[in-house]
Amino acid sequence: MKKPMIFSEFFRNNGKLMGSILFFLVAFWIIFLILLPQLSMLDYSFRYNLPPAEVGGPKDVYTLRNYRFLVKGPEGASDAFNYVDLAVFVRTILAAMAVTIMNLILCYPLAYFLGQSKGTGFVRLLVVMLIVPYWINEILRAFALRIIFGDVGVINGLMMQLGLIDQPYDFINADIALYAGLGYAYILLMLFPMYNVIESLDRNQIEAARDMGASWIRIHRRVVIPHAKPGIASGMTMVFMLSAGALAAPQVLGGTSSLWFTQLVYQRFNNTLDWPLGAAYAIVLLVASITIVLTFMKIFKVNMGDIGK
Amino acid sequence: MKSNILFGRVALGLYLVIFFGYLVGPLAVMGLSAFNSAEFPSIIPWQCFTYEWFSTLFHDERILKGVKYSFIVGFGTVILSVAIGLAASLVLTQVWEKWRSTYYTVIIAPILIPGVVLGISTLVFWKKVSDLLGGVDVLSNGIFLTILGQSTFIASYCMLVFVARLQRFDPGLTEAALDLGATHTQAFRKILLPFMRPAIASASVLAFLASFENYNTTTFTFGSYPTLTIQLAQMVRYGINPSISALAVIIVVITVFGALTVEVYRRRSKLKAGEIRQGKGLPAWLFGNTATILLVALSFALIATVYTAQTYSPAQCKADYKAARAAEVQAKIEALRAARAAAAAAAAANGEAPADGGTNAPATQGGTGGFGGVFAPTNLEDAAGQSNGADSGAAAPAAPFGNVFDPGNLEDAAGQNNGASSAPAPAAPASPFGSVFDPNNLENAAGQNGN
Amino acid sequence: MSSGVDVNLENIWIKFGDFVAVREANVNINGGEFFSFLGPSGCGKTTILRAVSGFLTPSEGRVLIGGKDMEGLGPNKRPTALIFQNLALFPLMKVWENITFSMEVKGASAAERRKRADELLDMIALPGQGDKLPSELSGGQKQRVAIARALCAQPDVLLLDEPLSALDLKLRQHMRTELREIQQRVGITFIYITHDQGEALTMSDSVAVMRAGIIDQIGDGNAVYDRPATPFVASFVGENNVFRGKITAINGDEALIATNRSGELRSKITPAAVGKLNVGDEAMMFVRPEMLQLGAGDAKSTITAKVVNEEFEGNSYSIYLEGDGGKQIKMAMPNLGTDPHRAKGETVSFSYDAHNAVVMPAGDLASE
Repeated sequence: MKKPMIFSEFFRNNGKLMGSILFFLVAFWIIFLILLPQLSMLDYSFRYNLPPAEVGGPKDVYTLRNYRFLVKGPEGASDAFNYVDLAVFVRTILAAMAVTIMNLILCYPLAYFLGQSKGTGFVRLLVVMLIVPYWINEILRAFALRIIFGDVGVINGLMMQLGLIDQPYDFINADIALYAGLGYAYILLMLFPMYNVIESLDRNQIEAARDMGASWIRIHRRVVIPHAKPGIASGMTMVFMLSAGALAAPQVLGGTSSLWFTQLVYQRFNNTLDWPLGAAYAIVLLVASITIVLTFMKIFKVNMGDIGK
Repeated sequence: MKSNILFGRVALGLYLVIFFGYLVGPLAVMGLSAFNSAEFPSIIPWQCFTYEWFSTLFHDERILKGVKYSFIVGFGTVILSVAIGLAASLVLTQVWEKWRSTYYTVIIAPILIPGVVLGISTLVFWKKVSDLLGGVDVLSNGIFLTILGQSTFIASYCMLVFVARLQRFDPGLTEAALDLGATHTQAFRKILLPFMRPAIASASVLAFLASFENYNTTTFTFGSYPTLTIQLAQMVRYGINPSISALAVIIVVITVFGALTVEVYRRRSKLKAGEIRQGKGLPAWLFGNTATILLVALSFALIATVYTAQTYSPAQCKADYKAARAAEVQAKIEALRAARAAAAAAAAANGEAPADGGTNAPATQGGTGGFGGVFAPTNLEDAAGQSNGADSGAAAPAAPFGNVFDPGNLEDAAGQNNGASSAPAPAAPASPFGSVFDPNNLENAAGQNGN
Repeated sequence: MSSGVDVNLENIWIKFGDFVAVREANVNINGGEFFSFLGPSGCGKTTILRAVSGFLTPSEGRVLIGGKDMEGLGPNKRPTALIFQNLALFPLMKVWENITFSMEVKGASAAERRKRADELLDMIALPGQGDKLPSELSGGQKQRVAIARALCAQPDVLLLDEPLSALDLKLRQHMRTELREIQQRVGITFIYITHDQGEALTMSDSVAVMRAGIIDQIGDGNAVYDRPATPFVASFVGENNVFRGKITAINGDEALIATNRSGELRSKITPAAVGKLNVGDEAMMFVRPEMLQLGAGDAKSTITAKVVNEEFEGNSYSIYLEGDGGKQIKMAMPNLGTDPHRAKGETVSFSYDAHNAVVMPAGDLASE
C-alpha cells in the first residue's frame, strides 16, 4: 500500500503518541545530529580563530583564510602553494582509491565462492571466521599489523634470523604497513555487500551462460558482475570513504615523514588548537570524498538506494 | 579437464589460505605476543611463556577507567541509536514515494561521512549550543558528546538492520490490531515490538560493538572521559607493552565465545522450528554440534588456562634466558674487542685510522637510533629503556655505548642498562605495576615504565 | 450478540493525489445483510472497505454506521471488524491469544479471555486447539480463527477482504457455505469484497459491481446476472456473448438492433437503460451461452455462423462460432447423449428467446 505521507495522515496512521515519538526521534536525529552539526562546522570553517572573549565581537566575521591556508600556506610563506598539505591531501585520496581497488580484487573471488556455495557447514564456519576479526578494535587491528611489520616485528625477525637481511627493513616509513593496515581494517565492508548480492544470483543463470559456451571471464563480465554491481558499488563506497577518513591506522602504522590528511585535521584541532582551520580541512575532506563517490556512482550508474544493502 | 579442475581446487585452496591468513594471521601473532615475556610485543625471538601481561593489564588504572567509560558510552549509544534507528525505519516505510530517496539519502549519509568529520561537527555544534545557553556544562561533557557523535552514524547502521526486518513485516498485522480495538501504542507494543525483537537484539549488539571500538569520532568528543579505544590509541602511540596484546586476546576470546553461542542458539531454534533441510554438504545438525563442541572445548581451555596461570611462573625460564643472552652478548663483545684490537693494529700501521675508528663506531650505532637500537644484540632485553635514553638527551647515546665497551660491565650489561634508563623515569609510575610483579620481574617493570 | 446495523455510504469520493480511486459511491446496506462488492482487482473495492473500517478518510462524503457519522473515528473506535485478505493472524501469539486480542487490549483478565476463546473455538469447530500457534494450523483452520477473532470483538459490521482467495478451490467452496451459515447465525451485517463472481452470487443478499472506482450496479444476484446495468457488468459477471449494432426501433422495453454481422435482432432493454436508448444509438446486446439453442427460430432472433471449434466438457458441450469483430460466440448445450458432433467450418443456425437477451447503450467491456 503506497500512501502519500501528509502530516495528518502520518499521525492518523501512527496515533498521536506513537506518531509524536517517531517524529521527534527522527527530527532530532536529522536536525540536531546530522544537519546542524555539519552546517555549524561549515560556518566555523569560514571564521577566524579568535580567543573566546572576542567571539561574537567585531572581529568575528567571515573569511576565506582557512581555505586559503590549505591552498597557499601561511601568509608570507615563501612557496606559492602549500605544497606539504596539498601533497598530503592528494596522496590520501589516491592511496584510499588504491586500497579500495586492492580490496576489491582480493575480495571478489571469495565473495563469489561464498555466495555461490551456499548453505554448507564449511561456508558458515568461514563466515564466522570472517566476522570475528571484524569485531576487534580498529586500533588493535592496526596494532597487530605493527607487531608484524615493526622493526622488531615478525617479518623483520624472521628475515634476520634467516639471514636474509642484517638491518631491519623499515616497513613503517615505506608505508607498506599503512596500506596493508588500511586494507585490513575495512576488507569485510568490501566482502559482505558483494557476498550478499552474489548470494542472490540464481545459479541457473551461470549454468545457462556456461551452457551457451561462455568462458569464465565472459560469465563474470556479463552475468555475475552486472548482478553484483550494487554490492560492489556499496563496498567500494564504504571502503573508500572509510579509508580516506581513517585516523587510527595512519596514527599507528603511518611513517613519521608521510601523514594522512585526517592526521592534519587532528593536529589542527588537538595540537595547534586552530578549530576553524581544522573544520575547513574537514570540510575539504568531506566534500572531496563525497564528490568522488558521487562521480563514480554516476559513471557506473549506481543509485544511492543500493548503498548500505 | 581433470587436471584443470584439480588446478582450480588448488588455486582456490591457496587463495583461501592467503585470504584468511591475511585476516586471522595478524590477530594470531598479536595473541601469541601476549604470552611472550619480551618487553616489546613480538614473537620473534621467543623468550618465555608468561601470563604477566594479563596481570599488568588488570592493574592498569587507565585501561580499567577506559573500560568503564566505554561501557557507559556504549549503553547510552545503544539506547539512543536503537530508538532513532527504529523510528527512522518506520518512517521510511511510510514516507511519500517522492520524498523517499531524499529521506533515505539523508539518513544513510552518516555512514558515509568520515568519522573524523562527524566528531568535529558534533564538537563544534554542541560547543556553540553550550555557548548560546551560557556555557551549560553538560553539553561539553565528554560522555554526552561522545554518545551523540557516535549515535549519529550508529543509528544508520541500526536503521539498516530494522529496514531489513521490516521488509518481512505485514503492516496488515498492525491494522488488524487497530481494527480489533487496540490503540496505536498497544499495537506497537504488542504486535510490532515482539516482531522486531530479534532485530532489536542484533541492532543493540551491533551498536554496542560499533560504539565500543569507535575511535575516529570519539577522539574529538571524549573530553575528559577517555574510552578504552582512546586509551589504547594513546598506549599504542606513546608506549607499547604486550598487555595490549593481552587485551586483544581477551576481546578475541569473548568475540569467539559470543559468535559460537549465537551460532549454537541459532541452530537450535532452527532445529526447533523444523527449518533445517539436509544440505549438500555437512548435515546441518552436525554443524550445530560442531559449534557446541567448540564452545565446550573453548570453555574448558579457558578454565584450564586460568587455573595454570595461578601456579605457573616463568621466573626460571627468564633467568635462563637472561643468562643465555648474557653469554651471547659476551661472545659478541669478545668478537668486537678482537675486531677493535685488529683495528688498533691497523691504526698503528696507518696514523689516521684510530680517529676514524673512534667516530665510525658511534655513528653507525646512532644511525639505527630510536627503535633501531632495539636490535643491538645487547639491548634486546631492555630495548625500550635504551630508546628512552636515546631520546632524553644528546649525551644519552654514549651511555649504552659506554656500557658495551666497558669490560667491567660485561657480565650483566642488560641489568645495568635497565638501571640507567629507569633513573630518569622516577619510581612513581612504577607503583601500580610494582605490586603485581614478583621480584624477579622488577627489571622488566622498570624497563617498561621507562617508556 | 448485536444484531446488524445499517451501513450507508453517502457520495463517497476517495482520491490519492490526482488519482481517483472511488468516484461518487452511494451505497445503502441494510442491517443483517450479506453485501458484496464485486469487481476486478484495482477497481477500488478494497479502498471502499478501508474507508468503512477507518483506515482511510474519504476525500468527500460520509460513512454512516448505524446512522452515526464515522468522521474522525479511527479503526479502533469503529464497531467494525475486518478479516484481512491474508488473514493477518499474529504469528507470535497462540490461537487463543489471537482470538481474544480485542479483549486483551481492553484489559480483560486472562481467565476471562481463555473462557471466551474456548467458546469461540467450539463455535468454529476447533475445540482444544487454542494453544497452537497459527503456523501450526491448516489454511481452513486459520480462516476460521480469523473469523473467530473478528467476532470476538463483537462488531456490528464484519468486513471481509477477499478472505478466501488464498484457499484451494474445494476449501473455498466449503468455506462459502460456512461463512453464509455463520452470518445467518450471528445476524450481523457482512460486507464482503471479492473478484470472484461465484462467491458474490452464492453468498450475498446484494452485490455491488464496481469498475475503475465507479459502482455500475447494485442489486441481488439475479438482477446482476440477468439484468445487467452496463456492458461491463454484463461481461464481468458470468460469461456473455456481445452483439454490437445500432438501435433501429424501440417498442416499450423491447428494441430492434441492426447488428454489424448477424442482421437485425430483437432484445429486451435492460431495466437500467429503459428510456435512455433512442433509435440510431450505438448499442450492445448480450445473450448468455446457455440461452442459445441450435435451430432457427423467429427471424429476428436467429443467427447463422460458422463453427470454429467444439469442446466436450462431460455434462455439456461448448460450441464456438465465428462472431462479431473477431470475437467468438459461445454456446453451451447440455449433453443429452444424442447430439451429433458438428464439423469445423459447418454453418449452423441458432436462436434465442428475446426475453433472455438484454440491450443497453454501448460501453466498455470487462477485459478478459
